[in-house]
Amino acid sequence: MSVTSFTFEWFFLGAAVVAAAGYVWFARNDRPEPWRIALFAVGLILIAGALNSPLETIAVKRLLLIHLLQNALIADIAPLLLLLGLTPTMRASLPRVRARYALPAWLIAWYGTHATNFYDWALRDSWPLNIEHAILICAGLLFWWPLVSGRLSPPAALAYLGAAFVGSSFLGLAFIFSTRPIYSYYEHTPRLWGLSPARDQNLGGILMNGEQTLVFLLAIGFYVWRLLNEEHAAGASTQS
Amino acid sequence: MTIVALCVVATILFAQAVVRLRRRGRPDLADWSRIAFFAAGIALMPVALIVLDEQADSNLAVHMTQHVLIGDLAAALLVLSVRGPLALFVLPAPVLRPLARTPLRKLVRPKVAYALWAANLGIWHVPWLYDVALRHQWVHYTEHALWTTFGLLAWTILLDDRRTVGQRVALAAAMFASGQVLTDVLVFTFHPLYPAYPSVRQQQLAGVVMMAEQVVTLGALTFALLRPRLRPFRAVAA
Repeated sequence: MSVTSFTFEWFFLGAAVVAAAGYVWFARNDRPEPWRIALFAVGLILIAGALNSPLETIAVKRLLLIHLLQNALIADIAPLLLLLGLTPTMRASLPRVRARYALPAWLIAWYGTHATNFYDWALRDSWPLNIEHAILICAGLLFWWPLVSGRLSPPAALAYLGAAFVGSSFLGLAFIFSTRPIYSYYEHTPRLWGLSPARDQNLGGILMNGEQTLVFLLAIGFYVWRLLNEEHAAGASTQS
Repeated sequence: MTIVALCVVATILFAQAVVRLRRRGRPDLADWSRIAFFAAGIALMPVALIVLDEQADSNLAVHMTQHVLIGDLAAALLVLSVRGPLALFVLPAPVLRPLARTPLRKLVRPKVAYALWAANLGIWHVPWLYDVALRHQWVHYTEHALWTTFGLLAWTILLDDRRTVGQRVALAAAMFASGQVLTDVLVFTFHPLYPAYPSVRQQQLAGVVMMAEQVVTLGALTFALLRPRLRPFRAVAA
């Protein structure tokens, strides 16, 4: 199969259509601002596009690097964009999730889906791969929800993000430092762009760590900015 | 020898400050925890610069360990030991008074301290300069002196209770983000950046050393600063 061929995970294409229809239905009474619509749309495109395109072909048939790119897109970036795209009324209708449960659940999902046996099994059959991706998307939504719902104060959000950043970084580092392929599946796939299985894995780790560093530092920066604003406002009210 | 002499001088200055403050009836400002912090901080200097020195010449990860020990961990412990009124007793009054009037006091501003700290971090990791420092001992001494100086400066602000939690967390986050840039360059590069250190694996480990040390020091500080504010949140959440 050519690397430019499309491979589909139909479930996620259908789920994206259902989510878009649900958003339109809710938006009839609660009109979202254009930027919210754009964020929600980009979130859906990232999920549907990453799992239904040549990316999927390369991820499943050739390179771990591209599979980890998919995972980063659907687990870290797309869920955040989807949640940011919801209006306050839409968010209010969602259940409350406590940070103390969301963080361990996200970490378990992150490491669990990348465990050697599970990962190899998921790649050898198509439906377990759907399960892997569904877990990552749900875990991403669960992780970002306590932050986007606004229930965490800036100090709590900083502690939450800091713990998540440190807690999740070991997986990327393991990929970077491992000299042997962790997943036997990719030892036997045809190579692409001259990347050996070990180098493919190292680059995947770099991609994962780089992406998480960027996303988490931006989020931490946002909450530091909010903390400073709060202190500024508190100082101004004390003076007046 | 120079390092030992400097450590001895610093210990004498610290000891006389503790004795003077205790004699004035304020042992609470010069208690045993301060002495323990100082002892740990000052002990790290010879450990980093004498014990690890030989290995640091051939192993970049060990060289990085030296830098983070003297520029971050030891600096944090030393500032922790003398912060508050005790700091005013460390230097004799005839030295302290004119020093306070010089423009040097402007250095203890978050933006200035951060800019100096980050510039120092970036400049000394330029491969050409790193190589020069390895070949010329006086440049290497200057490098280590600057690591310590700017580390002490940054930690003076980070541990200054008169500044708000937000200001200090912002400085810690900025330092961590800057450190991450260097970490990523070292970890994500597949060829040796420094001619004296041909091992890519050691180069990547050096990046991890930097990241891990910052997570421990800046992470612990940030957690300590934010912890009191997490309690009300916990009460609401419960």
